[in-house]
Amino acid sequence: MPLYVERKPERLITEEGMRTDGRLPHEMRPIKMMVGVLEKADGSAFVEWGGNRILAAVFGPREVHPKHMVLPDRALIRARYNMAPFSTPERRRPGPDRRSIELSKVIREALKPAIFAENYPGSVIDIFIEVLRSDAGTRVAGINAASLALASAGVAMRGLVSACSIGRVGNFIVVDPNHDEDMWGDSDMPLAMMMESEEITLLQADGTLSEEEFKEALDLGRRAIRFVYEVQKEALKRPYYLVERRVV
Amino acid sequence: MSEVVLLVRDKEVVIPGQPLAKGKIRPGKDVYVDESGTIRSKKLGLVSLKEDEISIVPLVGAYIPKEDDLVIGIVSKVSGNTILVDIRSPYQGALPIQRRAERVDLRKYDLRVGDVILAKVRSFDGASSLILTIDAEGLGKLESGYLLEVDPAKVPRVIGKRQSMLSILKEATRSEIIVANNGRIWVKPPSVKELIALEKALKKIEEESHVSGLSDRISSLLSQELR
Repeated sequence: MPLYVERKPERLITEEGMRTDGRLPHEMRPIKMMVGVLEKADGSAFVEWGGNRILAAVFGPREVHPKHMVLPDRALIRARYNMAPFSTPERRRPGPDRRSIELSKVIREALKPAIFAENYPGSVIDIFIEVLRSDAGTRVAGINAASLALASAGVAMRGLVSACSIGRVGNFIVVDPNHDEDMWGDSDMPLAMMMESEEITLLQADGTLSEEEFKEALDLGRRAIRFVYEVQKEALKRPYYLVERRVV
Repeated sequence: MSEVVLLVRDKEVVIPGQPLAKGKIRPGKDVYVDESGTIRSKKLGLVSLKEDEISIVPLVGAYIPKEDDLVIGIVSKVSGNTILVDIRSPYQGALPIQRRAERVDLRKYDLRVGDVILAKVRSFDGASSLILTIDAEGLGKLESGYLLEVDPAKVPRVIGKRQSMLSILKEATRSEIIVANNGRIWVKPPSVKELIALEKALKKIEEESHVSGLSDRISSLLSQELR
């Protein structure tokens, strides 16, 4: 007998727009971010996003191994998204699987346009994203963490990449879908942007959205990501303010 | 374009992508200009405003070699006529052994894996070929002493304006100190007490370099430690 049985809630959203975790459609889960959490990495970040706990580490620019992967005119960018065996309700088999290989790829491609790779020819920038606890929306939380880790490593960037998911439940477009909405909702659209230039670097969509719904989702996403961006900015500058306050 | 519009203060901490200025001002180091003509920061760093130029002084970052830089390397491989040297950078240093060249002290090239050397960057093509040299007075194997490290971005702070910080460190601890551009610092203090004081001082420089009045704080830290 399975130890853990997923149970679909009777309804995902009330007519008034109350969601299963008590949020309103446009409300996000609580977010907490910090940088510089790992001593050995060149840059690192920890993100708490609702029930998600995500650690990101950046190494580099550093020497490329294996040597045949060297790109002579720019930096090689590698990303690895990995879920801990204990990150899910039931033990997850360790190691890469179809899903995490795909997520590694989309995360790498969401971050790549933000990095001045041509400034570091012949080197590699390694990005590691470790999901310690998962609760829907790990890829967007991972992108946020990785982008912070890159900036805190001193990598030259066009801007931070910020991300958030938008979903549809019945007639409601909801910001930052939770686990239930992710499982049984009608649509899920992760979105990542370089907020300063409003360039979209990741847009995926599951389920169905009409044209109007898509436009509404994109607009809501932009507003949610603007908020995430503010949290990121604050997290990057905080350590320096804290030192300043202690010293002065 | 008309007047200069500054969007940040001098010495402010900025993040990558943050807009710095618009209009008639020259973009300096570690900034870029976007499609709309706004100057933006490339890195996490401090704003540096100089008359008609705006640039960023990075707060962290890897060491990217430049010609004529002084570096402290650790020998990682000795093979044939090249010695490979790790210089804490994305690029590995190569030290060619010039057996036939004149006026070269061949004893200097008697190096083993793990040896620490002081070298100069002779040439760097920006991508793969990084040639070092030790054929000059004072360069070569470093013996007896300790190797400390700081973030390469903090090296200018450890040296200070006109070597002010370095002379504070040297005088207060009565030590020989060599600060290399790659963030490695070789020290030879008279006793362990001075070594500990130096380590603490370097850590303080790394942490507090963005807050003004650093020299005074380092002086007082050293006098406290060495009382």
